[in-house]
Amino acid sequence: MQGTLRDWRAVLVFVGPALLLYTLILLIPIIWSLGYTLFSGSVITGFKFVGLGNFVQLTQDQKFQSALWFGTKYALVVSSGQVVLGLLLALLYAFYLRKTSVLVRTIVFLPAVLPTVAVGQMFAKLFAIAPQYGLVNSLLHRVGLDSLVQAWLGQAGTAFWVIAAMDIWKAMGFYAVLLYAGLVEIPEEVLEAARLDGAKGWNLARFVVVPLIFPIMISSLIFSLNGTLKVFDSIMALTGGGPGTSTMPLTLYFQKVAFTYSDYGYGSTVALMLALQSLIVTLLIFRRARKDVT
Amino acid sequence: MNKTVAPSRVTQSPKASSRFSKWLSNLPLTLLVLLIVFLALYPVFWIYMSSLKGNLEFTTYQMWALPQSLHWENYLRAWTEGHMSTYFVNSLLAVFPSLLIVILLGVSTAFGIEIMQWRYKDTTALLFLVGIMVPIQVVLLPLFTTFYKLHLLDTRLSLILVYVTFGLPLTVFFLTGYFKTFSREIIEAAIVDGASIYQVFFKVALPMVTNAVVTVAVVQFFFMWNDLLVSLTFINNPDLRTVQSGLLSFVGQYGQRDWGPTFASVALSVTPTLIVYLVLNQMVMKGMAAGAVKG
Amino acid sequence: MNKRVGIAAVLALLGLSGLFALAQNNKITYLANDADPTSGRHGLFGRLAQECIKQTGAGITYEAQGIPQTDLRQKLQLLAASNSLPTIFPVDEPSFVTQLYKNGQVADLEEVFKKLGILDKVSPAALVLQKSIGGGKFLSLPLELNIEGFWYNKKLFAAQGLNVPVTWDQMMAAAEKFKAAGIQPFAASGDQKWPLTRLINGYVARKYGPDVMERVASGELKVTDAGFVEAAKAIQDMGKKGYFGQGVNTVDYQTALDTFMQGKAAMFYMGSWALRDFNDPKNKVDINNVGFLNFPVVRGGKGSINDWSINTGIGVVLNAKYDTAADPVLKCVLSNWGDRALAEMGQISGFKVTKTPANLSPLTKATLQKLNTAKSAYLWFEGKMSAKAAAVATDNVQLLVTGDMTPENYMAELQKALP
Repeated sequence: MQGTLRDWRAVLVFVGPALLLYTLILLIPIIWSLGYTLFSGSVITGFKFVGLGNFVQLTQDQKFQSALWFGTKYALVVSSGQVVLGLLLALLYAFYLRKTSVLVRTIVFLPAVLPTVAVGQMFAKLFAIAPQYGLVNSLLHRVGLDSLVQAWLGQAGTAFWVIAAMDIWKAMGFYAVLLYAGLVEIPEEVLEAARLDGAKGWNLARFVVVPLIFPIMISSLIFSLNGTLKVFDSIMALTGGGPGTSTMPLTLYFQKVAFTYSDYGYGSTVALMLALQSLIVTLLIFRRARKDVT
Repeated sequence: MNKTVAPSRVTQSPKASSRFSKWLSNLPLTLLVLLIVFLALYPVFWIYMSSLKGNLEFTTYQMWALPQSLHWENYLRAWTEGHMSTYFVNSLLAVFPSLLIVILLGVSTAFGIEIMQWRYKDTTALLFLVGIMVPIQVVLLPLFTTFYKLHLLDTRLSLILVYVTFGLPLTVFFLTGYFKTFSREIIEAAIVDGASIYQVFFKVALPMVTNAVVTVAVVQFFFMWNDLLVSLTFINNPDLRTVQSGLLSFVGQYGQRDWGPTFASVALSVTPTLIVYLVLNQMVMKGMAAGAVKG
Repeated sequence: MNKRVGIAAVLALLGLSGLFALAQNNKITYLANDADPTSGRHGLFGRLAQECIKQTGAGITYEAQGIPQTDLRQKLQLLAASNSLPTIFPVDEPSFVTQLYKNGQVADLEEVFKKLGILDKVSPAALVLQKSIGGGKFLSLPLELNIEGFWYNKKLFAAQGLNVPVTWDQMMAAAEKFKAAGIQPFAASGDQKWPLTRLINGYVARKYGPDVMERVASGELKVTDAGFVEAAKAIQDMGKKGYFGQGVNTVDYQTALDTFMQGKAAMFYMGSWALRDFNDPKNKVDINNVGFLNFPVVRGGKGSINDWSINTGIGVVLNAKYDTAADPVLKCVLSNWGDRALAEMGQISGFKVTKTPANLSPLTKATLQKLNTAKSAYLWFEGKMSAKAAAVATDNVQLLVTGDMTPENYMAELQKALP
């Protein structure tokens, strides 16, 4: 029997085709791109070997550093928003709505399936100031808070929060379902025992429920971060990285360097940093999580 | 029994008032739930509502105003002049083969990694995990050059290859998590009964992961159907354009915009995802949850 | 064994895909910087090409493709990388055109036009302009010839009792008066960014003279010099005083145009390609109420009001490796372009016009007149800049106009990006 499970030909049949495709379309191009990091220029200007010059350039490049910082800040805010609001929603489903939560769960999940281009159009209109006030500015105007009427997407500070709000809103239903699944797996006896010990409401959630679904929270967070660190569509749809380059994460900076500046070598270096950023953040959370659990 | 009404009222009222006060204390939560539902539903409503507006209404009335009259012809224009019919067929021809392949390859790979016993299985699993972290932009130029040399640009195959490959990491990751909790006894029993490993895969393993397969398929469907970057990069020919890149020809046009048909097109592109989602969501959520809990 | 089957399947798929691949010969492929390759100028080019194919009987097919302007650069890089650039394609930056020419991917049009015998169809002014953009070489097709300046609403000016401003101070005073009357002084698209750098450009051209950006390119002038900082400050002041209305950075091209055409803004800096829209019935301001004025002179400046900002729009180039079987068709299309563009779109081009259409609007006529009598011309702000410097100039102008970046910093950042 072990022979059957150790049959290498069978392994090849099961894993081979996918691995072949994956290697050809993803792994080799990645290594190919890694090779570009040692060059400057592009196919049009011609490539010039610069050794580690691109990496030196990174350390002096203010645009890169601000994009790195913006991306990190954005990912932390949006991912924690997605997971925390997802958790609150999941608690709502599990302990308040109970059996009737199916409908609400279905509806709140909905924004996750809409195309970003369409959702972006709507948010741009909601927060518009010209040629007409969008919903937000109209409301502010109507309640007399004219001093708060502003170009929400035209200023670095407010644009950040509009983009963040959109991405949190879009994905919180998704994470709510993931976490809800964890909540319903918690045995009723455990909760009952905790209640008998006097835990209720917030304390029950904080000291009993959350620790029990902590592993799912961690995988949700990692999943979410790998999406938010690579954010592209939402920002393109709302601000295009502006005003100036104040809402530009590494993905947009890569695009700019590689294609607008025609420096594919340096662009690849930026992309490599992005991949490393995802890797480091993921590892950090893993380690942190392990410490918290033990 | 006493026939006066008053006492019975008196005896009932504490109960009623406690029910009322319970209802009252729950009121904020109920309102919150209603608000959340509204926030999630409104955009969908807005897209469909806007798709029925006349062009002038977009500049003269507020965005949340209801249509003055129903302009169904927007859909006709989107479908014919806007070439949405072509884009639809193109999207279907790219997305469904991709889904089929990514599921087949993904399930078999996960099975191979998790159930089979071999030396480099953990390394292979890790290798697939790397794919989740790599931004697609990184491989754009190498892929473009390769596809050009192989004459794959402007073909649906280029889209299918990229969709499948970028769908694989998540599919494999998710399904290995699923197979992890698989009762190995069932498989072992089947093997003892003389089943070949392929029979085990098709007759035992595959039926047991149907839920997960549907979940992954739906999640991948959203990703592929909503893709813009890949189709914009590898497809030049307007006759091969997919729905999302086709939408751009309305939205980004230099010159007067036809908002009505634009929204009709958006509505058309959203409808299949909504149908898929509404039909399969119970299964999806169950599968997703199970994958998350176990993975 | 099964592995072999898998490989065979992959190979079969690859082989099959060969069937879908497009043959590049006997074909004119046209790439439009618009997702819809049949709109506007692109549509006219297509129609003309089809007519010419019939007329010349050349065994050529024509195929148009479109890419949204925002994705153009990425697409071109990818196409150039794979040596699969179309026959005719747009390039949005002169520095990029020159690069492609050096790589042998863009044709020298002087040679091609001589060969086709149509060099004399190009208006001399356009030829000079194209050579200036192409670093001495004639590289892009002058399908458009645009003159830029302020379009203004005559009715609104009259209602405020204002004369047409000829100095910067007069223009700012007029703006102040409009603002006080509740009329937005200027419509501008900060979302597009370049409409704002055009204003800086106009200002420094008046300050230093029309060759200012050439002197910057040669290193003779530094953009950190006082005159440049003054220009940046002037544009920032316009933003701070609210002359562009609210949220200028969120205003896209269409919105800015609409604001002017609905009579809600008094002035609009734009190129003469906007005539197409002004001549359209959708224009709520009667075309006869639209006036055109040059960038006003500034105090202590060397530039004159007879210097105009003139350009050929986005560069459209010919692939150096185009199939010469297309020669007769190209000749036919290009020799008819001047007349057809003017007659069918009111679009002025760099090709000579042999038949002036009778129904030309007075505004179009007046603009043509200005274009023909311009004494000297200068390019747009980024015309001589590298791609990187151009990106810095355009990106940062959004911060400049809202006051998030000082004029000094704006120019210092730009100077750093200049070679």
